Amino acid sequence: MNWGEPILLGAKVFGLLGLGIYIVFAGVVLVQVSRMTDTLEVGFETAIKLMAWLHFAMAIGTFVIAFVIL
Amino acid sequence: MTDLFVNKETEGKEEIEIIPTDELPRGRARHKMHGHSHSPMAAFAYYPDKVKFVAADNKEKIVLLLRKHPITNLKWLTTAALMILAPSLVGFMSPFLSLPENFQLILMMGWYLIVLAYIIEQFLDWYFNVNIVTDERIFDVDFVNLIYREITDANIDQIQDVTVQMGGVLGTTFDYGNVVIQTAAEIPQIEFTSVPKPWHKF
Repeated sequence: MNWGEPILLGAKVFGLLGLGIYIVFAGVVLVQVSRMTDTLEVGFETAIKLMAWLHFAMAIGTFVIAFVIL
Repeated sequence: MTDLFVNKETEGKEEIEIIPTDELPRGRARHKMHGHSHSPMAAFAYYPDKVKFVAADNKEKIVLLLRKHPITNLKWLTTAALMILAPSLVGFMSPFLSLPENFQLILMMGWYLIVLAYIIEQFLDWYFNVNIVTDERIFDVDFVNLIYREITDANIDQIQDVTVQMGGVLGTTFDYGNVVIQTAAEIPQIEFTSVPKPWHKF
């Protein structure tokens, strides 16, 4: 299948837009984790916060990589 | 008050009861109590050590921390495993392979981000949607969506009726079920969903 330039450009714009929205979502997950760990502390909070931050960093990393290579 | 937490049908077996604070075993004795757990992942923790709950008063003692039986996670864990494997199956399809390599890479990274988000959300849903029994009240903690929290509570004195619902192959095999508590509080019913050992608590 031959992908034309306009289609790839469109895909790039939509891809970056989608990843941008995803970064916002990853930020909301951070807020969610913060609210949850404020509500209940059982002793596993550090790992959960780390996981949420890692997810946020990966979202930003993917956006940056996409911006550079697409 | 204590009697509410003793199951008459299992009397003499494994009884879960509220122990007055001054009579609560300390040190090793407490760790030997049936149902006591040090694991933060425990679905059934009797007098857990390190639990802090925002809605409980300072003097209130947490007697029981419950969450859904771990086996209930099987569904989303299977889905997550399939999602992880999906690219290796779908990747052989022609439209994906005909994309430029940089697009393929970003598409793959985006997919695994979604998989990671799914796993995180499902885990958080299991881990933080808990039921708590203190020496004064019962709580049902629900995180309905990403940022909305709902905490329902009722005084133990207001408990009117307790119904245990247990069924299904998994529920019977792994000993978990629902505990429906009718109360005279503002919220007339509190439900503990898919909690382990439902017969052993009330």
